Amino acid sequence: MNPDDSGEPGGNLTCGRCQARLEPTKTQFSYLGHSFHTEVPACPVCGQVFISEELARGRMVEVETSLEDK
Amino acid sequence: MHFGLRENFFVNEEIERIKNCCLEREDAFCSSACPFRLDVRELVGRIARGGFNSAYRMYSNAVGFPAIVSAICDEPCKTVCPRRGIDAAVSLRLLEAAATGFSSNHRPNSYSLPAKGKKIAVVGGGISGLAASLRLSNKKYDITVYEQSGRIGGHLWDIMDPALFLPEIETQFMYEKYDLLLSKAVHDLSPLAAEYDAVYVATGRGGDDFGLAASPPDGTPFASGARGVFLGGGVLGGGTMEAIAQGLRAAGIIEAYLKTGNMKSAPSHRQTRMILDKGAIRPIPLVVPGGGRDYSKEEAAEESGRCLRCRCDACQRHCALLRYFDKFPKKIEEEVHATIHPGSLDGNGTIATRFISTCNQCGLCAEVCPMGIDMGIFLRESHRVMREKGAMPWAFHEFWRRDMEHANSDAAALSARPEAPGRCEYVFFPGCQLGASDPRYVLESYEYLRKADGGTAVWVACCGAPSVWAGDTGVFRRYADTLKNEWEALGEPCVVLACPSCRSFFAEFFPEIKTRMLYDFFDTGPQVPQNDGEEKLVSVFDPCPSRHDAATQGKIRSLVESAGYRLSKLRYEKRTAQCCSWGGQIAVAAPNYTNWLVTERAKESDHPYVVYCSNCRDIFADCGKPVKHILDIVFRLGGWDRKPPTVSERRRNREWLKDGLISRYWPQRGDGKNKMCANLAKLLVSDELRVKINRSRLIEEDLLSVIEECENSGNVLVDAGNGHRTGYKVIGNLTHWVEYARRDGGYELFNAYSHRMKIEAGTRP
Repeated sequence: MNPDDSGEPGGNLTCGRCQARLEPTKTQFSYLGHSFHTEVPACPVCGQVFISEELARGRMVEVETSLEDK
Repeated sequence: MHFGLRENFFVNEEIERIKNCCLEREDAFCSSACPFRLDVRELVGRIARGGFNSAYRMYSNAVGFPAIVSAICDEPCKTVCPRRGIDAAVSLRLLEAAATGFSSNHRPNSYSLPAKGKKIAVVGGGISGLAASLRLSNKKYDITVYEQSGRIGGHLWDIMDPALFLPEIETQFMYEKYDLLLSKAVHDLSPLAAEYDAVYVATGRGGDDFGLAASPPDGTPFASGARGVFLGGGVLGGGTMEAIAQGLRAAGIIEAYLKTGNMKSAPSHRQTRMILDKGAIRPIPLVVPGGGRDYSKEEAAEESGRCLRCRCDACQRHCALLRYFDKFPKKIEEEVHATIHPGSLDGNGTIATRFISTCNQCGLCAEVCPMGIDMGIFLRESHRVMREKGAMPWAFHEFWRRDMEHANSDAAALSARPEAPGRCEYVFFPGCQLGASDPRYVLESYEYLRKADGGTAVWVACCGAPSVWAGDTGVFRRYADTLKNEWEALGEPCVVLACPSCRSFFAEFFPEIKTRMLYDFFDTGPQVPQNDGEEKLVSVFDPCPSRHDAATQGKIRSLVESAGYRLSKLRYEKRTAQCCSWGGQIAVAAPNYTNWLVTERAKESDHPYVVYCSNCRDIFADCGKPVKHILDIVFRLGGWDRKPPTVSERRRNREWLKDGLISRYWPQRGDGKNKMCANLAKLLVSDELRVKINRSRLIEEDLLSVIEECENSGNVLVDAGNGHRTGYKVIGNLTHWVEYARRDGGYELFNAYSHRMKIEAGTRP
């Protein structure tokens, strides 16, 4: 992912459908029967989310690994 | 049961074998022979690192009266030490003396405990009675010793200088109180039994047993028929060491009685069942005290170093998995049990989930274990149970589940027989990975087999191993039926296998199917390039499933030598072959361990490897180890440094192989054009990104499908700065993300990554 203007991953993204700029939005995730939520950039109109590579390969992996070992 | 899968095997056989047969927790020979069961392994460890205080404390706790025991112990340990007969038994008594001599504190422990309020009579002031009194008074029981003579010590007066044992008794009792009634003979236990909560009868050799010692258990202090009365020591016939040891043990069973009311004897001592590979013992000369009688500190440490710390650890010495995680079979069985049967409803405590998925199931442990315990089978069955419970994370095996699906899909699988009259005697079954590694391996081999027997059919598919490794019993059952039906439809030919894993799976699950290895068909005559090797030294790295296939092992070596190479043996080969890391498909569950393992395997020899499993070849090639498949040598195909295909290229190779076979032998069956390959031309990927995608086990075909999904649905995010488009799609269970741009009727991919968590529905249009 290239650096963007805001310095935040996804900060420069707009929704291709709604043309709206993404905003931090509480979003639900699940894995191995566990559910949790966190704030990720999402379209304020249609709800389309963005998961950055930093998040996917960082914190998400940590949580995935801990749930696999639980 | 079906095709050899054993439903109840898990509970009935391997668990019991591990519990009953694993010798890792057996006592060392010396500890087993010692009346005090002294933990010699721990003691010499403390001495070796100069911990004389802690060594003395441990020794003192074990024997009660260290100065007495070290003076008169007749060292039964020496008669059983494995070094005896090789160099010399370890001088344990001198080591104990060193621990005593160099310890700066000989005072006993002082226990600050409340009085128990229970009274115990000890009949006999000999050393056994005193030993029981010492331990019970340590625990603050109220002790009264009845001694018929006018002095304590019993038969010690006959065998030792009282100037040694009397001060020692005084020292050990320095923080304890007990009532001593001298010249107080006991002729009847009834009054004592009435007055005291318990009685220990230790009247010494030839002493009065009050008619209670009719049939004592062998060598153990025991609970008599009279309630609260226990017997031990010389009265049961033991020597001095046994008398002391029994007194110490009697304290334990008496306390247990006072707490529970159960009159239980001490358990009989079971001799150790330890088995040690004496051939592995390196002779080291006995350390003789330079200064006369006793060791210096350095000499004591040196002699401690001679101790083998005897332990049955064959599995851990030879198995990388057990060594890496520092585990032994019993511990693993306990952890697996806790994982499969977690103590709480939410599954807390499933500590072995990942470990279960980390075994290569190579079978080396069963070869080196003196009891033949196969942890691979145990963990495979554990995996199956976990999978059936829905408790095994899908991510550990999804990549290979999908890979197997691809291998068996219309795009890659093929079963075809030549249109020659008569029965099809052979069918070549190269498996799913040989053609994925290099389609020429299969094309050249099949051409060779066709020349030998024009009726030979070809059957490109997976043997089902990934579903067994993933614990997918149901998937495997259905697939096994498919395989069996196909084999029958081909006329039940002999199946020619190239992959040792396929062979081991056929042998296990389809014993009725006759198989032969491809390499068996090659002779070592002029058809094998004769001078290519130029006397170069190479090592044959036997694939682990070839462990019991001595014929193939020998054939491969003959072929390699015929090609002009010289062989350098590996430490682990043939019957003790090790897994390259592929077995069990553990790389997703345990990436760090897998990377370490591959590096270790590559270092087994400085020479290039010759393998006859394409997975071994690709794994070693990937880490930079010079390696050839035997087919590279026989057909002059790849060089020592041929890079392994990416996970995406493997799929394309399979599809090219199918097309290649059809266009060469059955042109009427298809146009020989690869659809996926043509489609992928739309996707532009840089070499750098391709490496990253491959490392992440992402398939380019999948990534293209993500892009197409984004384009078709309009669910895409656009970067206002560079115009890149980003979106995701769930394929299988894995969420795939792509960042791309449209390019001339196709797409340029800038990035791709994935996550296992699911973005819940409802947050997206």
